[in-house]
Amino acid sequence: MGDSRDPSRIRVPFSGQKIQIPGTDIELPMGLDLSRRDVLKIAGYGSLAAFIAACGGTGTTTTTTSVTAKGGSMSLGSYLSDAVPKKGLQDVVDAFTSANGGTKVKVNTVDHGTFQNQINSYLQGTPEDVFTWFSGHRMRFFAKKGLAQPIDDVWNDVKSNFTEGFAASVKGDDSHVYAVPTSYYPWAIFYRKDVFAAGNYKVPTNWDDFKALCEQMKKDNLTPIAFADKDGWPAMGTFDILNLRLNGYDFHVGLCGGQQKWTDPKVANVFKKWAEITPYYSPAFAGLTWQEAAQQLLHKKAGMYLLGLFVSEQFVASGNPDDLAQLDFFPFPDVGSQYDAEKALDAPIDVYMLAKKSPTLGSDSGQAKAFLEYMSKGSSQITYWKASPGAIPTANDADPSQYPALTKKAAQIVSSAKRITQFFDRDSRPDFSGPNSMQGFLLKYLSNPKQDTGTLQGQMQSFWDALPPE
Amino acid sequence: MSVIAAATRRTALPTAAARGIRPGRVALHGFLIAMTAVWLFPLFWAIYSSLRPISDTIQHGYLSWPSGGLSLANYQTVWMQADLPYYYLNTLVIAVPAVILTLLLASMVAFACTQFSWRFNLTTLMIFTAGNLLPPQVIIVPLYRIYLSTPIPMLGSIDIGKFSFPLFSSNGLLYDQYIGIMLIHIVFQTGFATFVLSNYMKTISKEITESAIVDGAHVLRIWWSIVLPLCRPALAAMATLLFTFIYNDFFWALILISTGDKRPITSALNNLQGEFFVNNNLIAAGAMLVAIPPILVYIFLQKQFIAGLTLGSTKG
Repeated sequence: MGDSRDPSRIRVPFSGQKIQIPGTDIELPMGLDLSRRDVLKIAGYGSLAAFIAACGGTGTTTTTTSVTAKGGSMSLGSYLSDAVPKKGLQDVVDAFTSANGGTKVKVNTVDHGTFQNQINSYLQGTPEDVFTWFSGHRMRFFAKKGLAQPIDDVWNDVKSNFTEGFAASVKGDDSHVYAVPTSYYPWAIFYRKDVFAAGNYKVPTNWDDFKALCEQMKKDNLTPIAFADKDGWPAMGTFDILNLRLNGYDFHVGLCGGQQKWTDPKVANVFKKWAEITPYYSPAFAGLTWQEAAQQLLHKKAGMYLLGLFVSEQFVASGNPDDLAQLDFFPFPDVGSQYDAEKALDAPIDVYMLAKKSPTLGSDSGQAKAFLEYMSKGSSQITYWKASPGAIPTANDADPSQYPALTKKAAQIVSSAKRITQFFDRDSRPDFSGPNSMQGFLLKYLSNPKQDTGTLQGQMQSFWDALPPE
Repeated sequence: MSVIAAATRRTALPTAAARGIRPGRVALHGFLIAMTAVWLFPLFWAIYSSLRPISDTIQHGYLSWPSGGLSLANYQTVWMQADLPYYYLNTLVIAVPAVILTLLLASMVAFACTQFSWRFNLTTLMIFTAGNLLPPQVIIVPLYRIYLSTPIPMLGSIDIGKFSFPLFSSNGLLYDQYIGIMLIHIVFQTGFATFVLSNYMKTISKEITESAIVDGAHVLRIWWSIVLPLCRPALAAMATLLFTFIYNDFFWALILISTGDKRPITSALNNLQGEFFVNNNLIAAGAMLVAIPPILVYIFLQKQFIAGLTLGSTKG
């Protein structure tokens, strides 16, 4: 078979520092013995670059400084694995290929759960040029680890198309931009319009009305608040919103980031407030999945449900269009604190990023950045949204006229929020938001909400303190 | 032994029939039927769910009679949506060479350790058996690094439909390749296979190999033409077991493969789940389809499989 080991094709990862050849996109790994062919290639590119520089035509300088490139190829690692979003992504990719001079996009689809669990080894291995990911701490973490490529140049071209909230959500700790936000969905309290009409219920705007409504529903033999926490994460949504309303955005973010203490009496207040509504929860909620709780709402057995917009997927799957038409929501009621005015809420943002260790990013950088720019356009986000309407486009120029009422309202409550968080497990360390940590602590709290939470808060803080530095 | 047992059974049967139905037997069969029902219940429940559309179960709950009728629509969706045919192929591409190579290598070790006496033959055997006890999770981090820095030649690929099966490697590395998964399976299964095969080979009398030597057969010839044919039942049983082990594996591919399309069939089921919403009826249909090959292998090789479980158990 002969020796087909072409030396230029054998990649040596983790080669450490790299030097860039001036005037080109070629990066040279240092401390690597180069084949003769490599040396010739470098010499060739180098002299070409020198030649172009020497010619110095004003026309050529604009093309060489262009961020994006047409044609060629690029790769995309995607967690959009189930049928609906997968098709949405394919639609966008096809549109991008035809708009960008036929750029070939190789999509590697990995199922959502595996992609998230394996993200660390994925990004350190042989990742694709562009990958789908989340904003928040989850994004900043990989930026800090040097596994994501800053995209300030792309952002400069597209930032006018995003609100300040989105701009803040894609900045790393070093204040470079690492992602392009493409979609989001809010958390709110969902209800059925027909149930509210039949019971003559009014949407509550403050805590007392909210509790009075719960009491009324209980009298009417409804479960006032559907709740499910078998998977651990749904309870964090309630903790987030209560902490945001009672203690404000800054405290919440500080708490997620470890600058504030879990033993703070402010945290005890959250648990105390929470205990006022836990008697209205679904029975045996610790054994229910969110789909089962959504089912209670769907079947008019429960009155309200605090969850993300994705609760509508259960209503879509019921096959009865009237169920979806009856679904509505209202923002979490004011609790009478100074932070009510922030109107803060969880609205997780999904983003696209560049993987620094991608073996092909060196040659595909222009195409990859062109893809990110393309994804920041309202028209491309609408293309995706049409196929997969679960989340809302982020771009300012996305045309909302086609949105159904529910989506329009969702977009509106997020835009009226002065502060946006990403959800606890996206805002805090992954090792603090898992089943052994925060999820477990909250389940422990929910098993007896009337308890004195001092011990529990102490456990939370000592768990945080015992975590290794990130 | 078995002749005596058969004889007693033959004489015992008519008396039992003559005595009629004993309460002990009723209790026994009642117990057996109950246990069978308990074990089969989840399976039938899954089959029942897989035949119902999700809207039906959302409207009426899982504990209900089908209102919209039963259909194979979920199976059809799974087959197309999860690209099951390709994932079956992925698993085959990994499992078949891995089983064959494991058996060849393990039989070589077992042959050398049992048919010849040399200074470290027992030690060697113990090392192989001990390797079997190592939990795979322990070595995953160094293995990941090794896979990322091991160059493997790229010799083109065979394209089948939208999937491409590279010869050796498609990225110049051991990471993210079928061959990488194959290798780690071989490494881990060789320990167990050696243990079982050596126990079986110990029963082959030395006279056979000695007379082969007298006839002028060299070592490899004895291994291939004398010992391996004698080990056929053991090899068949091992092949069944190994295929099941490798088929069921989820762990190695999870960590050592980053391309979704290269993952084995066990991971294809995850492609049916959304970020939040899970269509359990669809998953049930997928699980049924994925479970078929090992069941088929078991049915066809049942005799060897059961023989394999007791292999070497009574042989010193």
